[in-house]
Amino acid sequence: MRISEIHYPSTIQETVTLLSANPAILLLAGGTEIVGTQTARVIDLADQVACISRISELRKTMRTEQFIELGACTTLTGLLSLSKGILPEPLPSLIHSIANPAVRNSATLGGNLCVKRGFMDLWPLLSCMEAQVELRAESGTRWASVSHLCGADGRPYLPEASLIARIRIPIYSYNFVFLRKLGSSSLPSPDRACFVCLANLSGDKIVDFRLALSGVKAFRLKDLEMTVSGRRRNTGKKEMGAFVAEYEQAFGSPDWFDSRVFSALVEESFERLYS
Amino acid sequence: MIVDITVNGLARHLQARSDSLLPDCLAGRCGRCLVFMDGRLTYSCLVPAFKARGSVILSYEALASLPETQEIETAFSAMESPPCPFCRKAKALVLYGLLAKNPNPCETEIIEALSMVDCPCTDHYALIAAIARMAVGRNKRIYSRENK
Repeated sequence: MRISEIHYPSTIQETVTLLSANPAILLLAGGTEIVGTQTARVIDLADQVACISRISELRKTMRTEQFIELGACTTLTGLLSLSKGILPEPLPSLIHSIANPAVRNSATLGGNLCVKRGFMDLWPLLSCMEAQVELRAESGTRWASVSHLCGADGRPYLPEASLIARIRIPIYSYNFVFLRKLGSSSLPSPDRACFVCLANLSGDKIVDFRLALSGVKAFRLKDLEMTVSGRRRNTGKKEMGAFVAEYEQAFGSPDWFDSRVFSALVEESFERLYS
Repeated sequence: MIVDITVNGLARHLQARSDSLLPDCLAGRCGRCLVFMDGRLTYSCLVPAFKARGSVILSYEALASLPETQEIETAFSAMESPPCPFCRKAKALVLYGLLAKNPNPCETEIIEALSMVDCPCTDHYALIAAIARMAVGRNKRIYSRENK
């Protein structure tokens, strides 16, 4: 049995110093994924653990006209308790569909984006909404798109010895939303995925088209999204079919998700978009 | 490690292993280990001892004697098939939390609260009806008390 050394950093700077001294240190905030996946009463954690749930800097919320900035340790319940209308749809509905209220009381926004075994539900939506994360490391602070939390191999990626301190979500609503959650497990597993398609329809024109899928790996084609954005919906089924085919071809037949299910989801989202 | 926590109003200094959890389903499902941790319902099976440091914990035992909890228990007892002994306390606790937040919960809110306790022992709709009836009775009682 491994005995872990527990640290209680009180500031982000202390956490970053701990991380740079030992990049393998486990940061634990809500702990719902880390502890929930363990099956024995005596849990097996890393040699060093930093309990960051009480760092007040990581729980702050700030709002401007363009975005809302949330500390990474804001719980999912905390997000839902923000005044109605602050979080742009469909974010509140998606958060509401995650696990149950008691789990949401502990689970944090940062934790949802940091899981290493696969992507949780919020990644595809926050990626489509062009949310950003503040990455803090001993070398400095930088903002990066949530999309960058996906590595070149499609798996979750977080730069070494970095901490997600804040998440900046643009307050921008989409009038076309197609969102599907697949699988019964609330933790990353091969049968679990989240599919998101967002767009703004301005008259007959498709504006800001976004489409992403996440599960054990993630998939998003920004180039094709740019092509779809700006098109007119009255161009007919032929163009729609071409986009669906392009998505199917780019997705291929990966080992982490059934390509037939992906095709069906893309087809349905485009049918709704063009209807 | 020594963990300082407040349990049901009493300051406790517990000798705990840094990696010990309460034993139940260990997955945040069954609800048997539900407690109020810093005012929020939490599955204690998902909380390692070190994370509880400095927390204020309220368990069912602290709330059992309160009239609000007694009313829930009475509503359970009046049911044809009340919740089983495995989940009864947990269901009482989640309903206590729900009614403290919202004295007039709708059916969806009751269902969501009960989703924290994964036990199929009771007829869900009978339980929802019993809780809705109890909430109406409680509101009448509180209202008449305020009038006096």
